[in-house]
Amino acid sequence: MLLPPLSPGDPISPAEPISQAYSLALYMQKNTSTLLQTYLQYQGSPFSDPGFSAPELQLSSLPPAAVSFKTWHALDDAERLGRAQGAFQALSQHLQLVGDDQSDLNPASPILLAQLGAARLRAQGLLGNMVAIMTALGLPIPPEEDTLGLVAFGASAFERKCRGYVVTREYGHWTDRAVRDLALLKAKYPG
Amino acid sequence: MALFAFFQTILLLVSLSLRTCQSEVLSEPLPLTPESLEVSINSAQQCLHLQWRVHSLAYHQELKMVFQIEISRINTSNVIRVDYYSTTVKWNQVLQWSWESELPLECATHFVRIRSRVDDARVSEPRFWSNWSSWKEVNEQNSLGHKASSVFPVDKLVEEGSNVTICYISRSHQNNVSCYLDGVRMHVEQLDPNVSAFHVNNVAFVRETGTNIFCEMDPKDDAGTVLFVSKVLEAPKDFSCETQDFKTLHCTWDPGSDTSLVRKQPYQSYTLFESFSGEKRLCEHKNWCDWQIAQDSQEMYNFTLVAENYLRKRSVNILFNLTHRVRPMTPKVFFKNISATNATMTWRVHSTGNHPTLLCQIELHGEGKVIQQHNASIKVNGEYLLSELEPDTQYMARVHCGDANHFWKWSEWSGENFTTLEAAPSEAPDVWRDVKSELGNRTVTLFWKPLSKSHANGKIRFYNVIVENLDKPSELEPVPIPAPANHTKLALDQCSYRIHVTANNSVGTSPASVIVISGDPGNQVEEERVNVTADGFSLSWKPQSGDVTGYVVEWCDRPQDGSCDLQWENLGPNTTSTVISSDAFRPGVRYNFRIYGISTKRIAYLLEQKTGYSQELAPLVNPQVVMSNLTSHSFTLSWKEYPTETQRSFIRGYHVYLKPKEGQCHPGFEKAALSDNSLCCKYKIDKPEQKTFVVENLQPESIYEFFVTPFTSVGEGPLDAFTKVTTPDEHSHLLIRIILPTVFCVVLIMIVCYLNSQWMKEKCYPDIPDPYKSSVLSLIKSKENPHLTIMSVKDCIPDAIEVINKPEGSKIQFSGTRNSLTETEITKPAYLYLLPAEKNYSGPGPCICFENFTYNQAASNSGSCGHVPVPPTAPSQRGLLTSLENLLKALEKNYMNSQGEIPAGETTLNYVSQLASPMSGDKDSLPTDPPVPALCSEYKMQMAIPLGLASPPLSENSSVSSVTLLDQGDHHH
Repeated sequence: MLLPPLSPGDPISPAEPISQAYSLALYMQKNTSTLLQTYLQYQGSPFSDPGFSAPELQLSSLPPAAVSFKTWHALDDAERLGRAQGAFQALSQHLQLVGDDQSDLNPASPILLAQLGAARLRAQGLLGNMVAIMTALGLPIPPEEDTLGLVAFGASAFERKCRGYVVTREYGHWTDRAVRDLALLKAKYPG
Repeated sequence: MALFAFFQTILLLVSLSLRTCQSEVLSEPLPLTPESLEVSINSAQQCLHLQWRVHSLAYHQELKMVFQIEISRINTSNVIRVDYYSTTVKWNQVLQWSWESELPLECATHFVRIRSRVDDARVSEPRFWSNWSSWKEVNEQNSLGHKASSVFPVDKLVEEGSNVTICYISRSHQNNVSCYLDGVRMHVEQLDPNVSAFHVNNVAFVRETGTNIFCEMDPKDDAGTVLFVSKVLEAPKDFSCETQDFKTLHCTWDPGSDTSLVRKQPYQSYTLFESFSGEKRLCEHKNWCDWQIAQDSQEMYNFTLVAENYLRKRSVNILFNLTHRVRPMTPKVFFKNISATNATMTWRVHSTGNHPTLLCQIELHGEGKVIQQHNASIKVNGEYLLSELEPDTQYMARVHCGDANHFWKWSEWSGENFTTLEAAPSEAPDVWRDVKSELGNRTVTLFWKPLSKSHANGKIRFYNVIVENLDKPSELEPVPIPAPANHTKLALDQCSYRIHVTANNSVGTSPASVIVISGDPGNQVEEERVNVTADGFSLSWKPQSGDVTGYVVEWCDRPQDGSCDLQWENLGPNTTSTVISSDAFRPGVRYNFRIYGISTKRIAYLLEQKTGYSQELAPLVNPQVVMSNLTSHSFTLSWKEYPTETQRSFIRGYHVYLKPKEGQCHPGFEKAALSDNSLCCKYKIDKPEQKTFVVENLQPESIYEFFVTPFTSVGEGPLDAFTKVTTPDEHSHLLIRIILPTVFCVVLIMIVCYLNSQWMKEKCYPDIPDPYKSSVLSLIKSKENPHLTIMSVKDCIPDAIEVINKPEGSKIQFSGTRNSLTETEITKPAYLYLLPAEKNYSGPGPCICFENFTYNQAASNSGSCGHVPVPPTAPSQRGLLTSLENLLKALEKNYMNSQGEIPAGETTLNYVSQLASPMSGDKDSLPTDPPVPALCSEYKMQMAIPLGLASPPLSENSSVSSVTLLDQGDHHH
């Protein structure tokens, strides 16, 4: 069986990277709530209190996943994928930061550190898949940004706990959004 | 300017006067105002640092001064602190003072001012305060930075039990502020519209990762901080130092609580400081530190151990002479000259010092316990003889030593195991025997108990058994039986034997145990019951005369499964009772105990035999009861005894249960309730040996139900099914006596009658000879005349015709059960012809009568006789009439089938020879006549029946006709 030779200029079908990205996003979605609960459990009260939620806490360096449905639906492929790609790029860096914070604040909690590390790797994996889709669709790839800048150091322990909470929470929200983004793309570009 | 010039002049004058009168007392007041006040903040420590100068001092002037410092919070009028600071002030000196605020300095603006007063004895009164410096404002609120709110202090480290003040600052005015410490809401005090604070007294340690504090308010604006609470650093406990080799001092202590906090405070450090040498060493370990002893033979040491963390230092001190802190090194132990009862222990203590005298303790352990303790004083080498040891026993001996002159501590124990050598067994084995006689031979099983460890003195290798025939002296051959066997079997004859048993180990032989098997079969004794106590079976026996050297009680531990497991107990000659207990004893099992006396000749003779149960149990089975001698008024119950082995308790008797009839019990029975609550009549048999019981006073032809069960001290047997028995009729036996002979007589009469009838037949009406079978026929044939034959009836020409007129329409009632055939009207004439009788039936000669019987044309046409398939039946038995009638009915039926009709006729006994006439078209002929075979008239053969047989007693007319018909059918040939 002969495969046609591939050349860089050839357009690649986006269905396969979309499908792969979709599968990964679905897999990630199963673990996001566990990560958040594990994270909160190790931070003490009020984080570990039942039903803890602080939606007002945000990080300026991390774009929020929340968006109105109308806006979200009206996004074109480039915007949709660009935002997701940017978010997971930021999440990947923030998860690294949170992992460092927690290895400082909770060094004796290997479960939490392992889950944070795994989440970061998955975020990077999904990021790669997004780039593959954008390549397949012929969309421009935004350059990698240092989203954290200089804000990471000098934060108090409480701020670092809050930061980690926002990151793990947004990781879940962005994963949920990515699942919907990719489902929409999957329908649009069937294999 | 004028004022300034004036002060300058005054100051100059003062300084001059001081120079000139150095030793004189200062007599003039000096207005020395603090200047150049600078205030800085250390947020982490919540400290205000003040710096100022006193410019007015002259060069090299030193003056004692007091400074008053006022600190206000939020505004200058709110003075929260007034402090005094006394010091000697030098010229151009920068003075410093610090104050730690309980409230984080970020929480509020602070104001500081200072003034001074000379407090020097050289300055004469009056001493007055200088002017206040101007207020210095200290504001750290800009630390809020870009945040909307914050909680202070940030990540503060405090000791457990300390008091902490927390504040919450926001840019907006605060409403409904709530603050929580590890989830617990705190009482918050609002300092100003943007600042709230609360105090935490005696703060507790929660976790190493810190305690979260967070505040919230309206509008929603949350902020928090983490308070790191450390445990309080404790002073090291049990601090001591010692040496074993005069090279190293080994110092140890108990560090107490761990004050480390994750990433906030490491484990507390420990530092050793020796004051005589001035040396210091930072210890690497939490609880011990080694200090190298210098070569200069320092004797005295003064150690200070300092424990330190970020919050405090704690220290302990010890002072000692090195020679008083010597712990000898662990000895090295050896053993030599180990025998069966002794061993020599040697040890050596390595020492680099001046070989001080050592006190050593020796311990001997056996089976995990200390059995000997000894002390010894040595220099370097020690030796001790351990005696009174048991042979073939493992021991552990250990030793430790301490300085005898300046005892500090014992060295560590040093010990070794050793095992003493074996010795010959010290006691004879405990031997007993079981003798079974069979066909003149005896099988003696010798049992012995293994020697205890203290008597075996080593591993028993074998047992020697020597059998000595006392009646026929012979050479004695020891038979070795390898251990661990505990018995052997000997086949002996009826002679007396003396048996010696010894136990042997690798060293020697035990004393012999002697037992004599007498040729006398022994006596039999009565079995008695044994008492049972909580401790076991309590046995006692009568004391024997003086030649008894002891007693033996033997029993089987397992009689229930047949293996016996013979046990015995040796008892002294003065003992007459003992209590036998065994873990093998089970409830409901009968144990037999035999008590033997042992004579001086070592012969055992049975004294008593006892039996009993450790615990009696109710019987599990009931006896198999056999019922016999059943009469209409009684029956007998009998049963067999149980095997003793299956009895679970002593049977004290039996209960016979009988179900009551009409609620009444028989005499001797009493009412009792069964285990299923049904009522019953019970008879109690008190004697266990009674195995029969007669149930009397019964009613004939009645059903009785009985049930027999044993009873014991612990209850009776299980409730089984009742057995039913029915008493016979009172007269039934009479009936049997009458009926049987009667039947016999009748049968006899019948036989006689039958024989008689045969005789009668032969005499009265012998069989009519068959002409075809006649010898005449053969004679004719021999003459070869084919024309000569027996006359055939059809060939006959009638010679006379008798016409019998019968009235038309008359009917003949044949029998009660006959129907259509009887309605045939016979109108045609009949012909009578007398012929001699030829039938088989014979009768009395003069009484031969022939009946004018029915003529059957069909039978004649066929040329053969109409055989009626009815077997001939012996007639004339009245008792059989009924059956004969039945047969008759069958006959009638068959007869009709074969012949179609039976013509009615006179019942008179006349022989009628009939001639058949052509009857075509004759309506009076028999309705079922077959076609007429020939036109010629025919003469038919007739049958005859003997009158005497056919008509028994004439009273029975109907029977006569029936019999007649029967015979008719029989003779249709």
